[in-house]
Amino acid sequence: MTPIVEFHEVSKWYGNVIGINKLSLRIPAGVTGLLGPNGAGKSTLLQLATGQLYASQGRVRVLGQPVWNNSSLNRLIGLCPEQDAFYEWMTGWDFIHTSARLAGMGRRAAREATERTLDAVGMTPHKGRAIRGYSKGMRQRTKLAQALVHDPKVLFLDEPLTGTDPLARHDLMTIIQRLGNEGKSVLVSSHVLHEVQTLTPNIILLNHGRLVAEGHIRQIRDLIDKHPHHIVLICDECRKLAGRILAWDDVEGVRVRADQKGIMVETRAPDAFYSRLPSICLEDGMAIQEVYSNDDSLESVFKYLVSK
Amino acid sequence: MKSSPLAETANRNVGSKVDAEGGHAAFSRLTSLWTLYVLTLRQHLHGKRWMVMAGLFVLSAGLVVLVRATAVNVAPRQLEFIIAFMFIPQAILPLLALVYASGIVRDEQEEQTMTYLLIRPIPKWALYLVKLLATLTTTVVLVAALTVLIYVAIYAGAESGQNDVTMRCLKAIGIHSLAVVTYCCLFGLISLLTNRALIVGILYAALFEGLLANMPFSIRLATVIYYTRLIAYRSLDFITTMNARGMAIANDIAAEAWQLDVKADPGLTEHPQIRACITVLLTASLVFSAIAAFLFAYREFYVKTPEKT
Repeated sequence: MTPIVEFHEVSKWYGNVIGINKLSLRIPAGVTGLLGPNGAGKSTLLQLATGQLYASQGRVRVLGQPVWNNSSLNRLIGLCPEQDAFYEWMTGWDFIHTSARLAGMGRRAAREATERTLDAVGMTPHKGRAIRGYSKGMRQRTKLAQALVHDPKVLFLDEPLTGTDPLARHDLMTIIQRLGNEGKSVLVSSHVLHEVQTLTPNIILLNHGRLVAEGHIRQIRDLIDKHPHHIVLICDECRKLAGRILAWDDVEGVRVRADQKGIMVETRAPDAFYSRLPSICLEDGMAIQEVYSNDDSLESVFKYLVSK
Repeated sequence: MKSSPLAETANRNVGSKVDAEGGHAAFSRLTSLWTLYVLTLRQHLHGKRWMVMAGLFVLSAGLVVLVRATAVNVAPRQLEFIIAFMFIPQAILPLLALVYASGIVRDEQEEQTMTYLLIRPIPKWALYLVKLLATLTTTVVLVAALTVLIYVAIYAGAESGQNDVTMRCLKAIGIHSLAVVTYCCLFGLISLLTNRALIVGILYAALFEGLLANMPFSIRLATVIYYTRLIAYRSLDFITTMNARGMAIANDIAAEAWQLDVKADPGLTEHPQIRACITVLLTASLVFSAIAAFLFAYREFYVKTPEKT
């Protein structure tokens, strides 16, 4: 299947600073989450994908077309940029209508599209107010609306939930999910994992301009086994327990916690470890009060992968 | 299943029918360009620049009124020459052009609104040219208003033929407009070559257009003001009469001030004719604009993200 967005060996330098480093990606249709900490290269990737930046090396294609200086392609894509910038003196309606007209829509079509898009993002009650008076949530909705008004096939959303209150966040997530359900391809960037996890199971992890991992969340989770897995055991006899566990071949390290009430075990075979754990209690009579692992959350998978 | 408003947009919008080439059949590039033109004009209206410039215009007119009130011996034509053909072309026009043209790109970058333009189906070169065209419209309108204001201040209540004054005013508007168009195209280009366009522009206006243009050397052929002066000199007369020892002596104030050697060359045959001057200025404007549009098309515009600011 033709990918919606394709990066082939793409690098982007800002002088001596590298933004994207030999990145190869094929993003399929549907909703995809672009994850990475601040400075990972997410915005650079989106600016490359929307033709705002020119790749220093490699090839970027969207819908099979090159993006640099390809203005016709812009009819098929929409971008919700990260920066909180507007023509502040405009009203919300005016801004969206101008966006529709800039996209080349006729007067009537632009008016209709403006009304519908504002309705879709829940901004109809505020459409007559100047943007300078909008709350952060309203501004994010308005930014999303300008990306949607010309009915693009592919949407690039750069940190669309940043700075929004819980209600606005929920609404925006619902809108993005709905866009996916309506058949739009959406690439949404975020540095907050649970946001993206809620939106889509398809994720791309970036760090330092490099692709750390990509694919279904399950595939990403599977990668965890290739990296040290941290399991915390809470017990009273922690030093004795540490000595016993250290003898196991698949355990790579044990660290006694500062409060002396537990140990942290590092293993690359968490399943085997968990299955062997009860034997310690049975054979050695050690009472393990609590077993948990931070690695169960996507957050920790992310931390593992980006800290490689 | 009930479709959402977005789906309805997709289904019912005239412009949402994708043609075989993947484009949207009902979308018009002309609409995009016209909207950009109007948007830029509206940006100019909402900016504070025009108020600053209007203040300068009023001050210039105030200066005229002050001179007329205090120096009764100064003839209107003399005053017209000093204000409309020395002060305005030398100081106001370059400043006006610099203030507006240097903001064509910089404003959008500083306000971080450039993204909203770059992601539209408008070729980048056209984006620059349309914004330049809107800037030319604004500056020419301002120049026309300023010139009319100055002429009213100079000739109101003076003993001069109304038709003659109107014609002189129209010619002055044309000359000033031509100058401001050339300056805008030049400063627009400079703003793409340097981040310090205002400083470079002021230095250019002061040294090149101010100093060199007033010297009787051929380097002045490379200045905008030289051609506008020639057009003015050839299309308007600036002869004033002085009374000395009971005799009326004609005085060509423009030739004297502009270093035009009319004694040796009364027809100024060594200098370009009006048509050549207009051609030079328009050609220069076109060349500056074309280079700037080319540079803009291949320029990347980094967006300041919160983490980078």
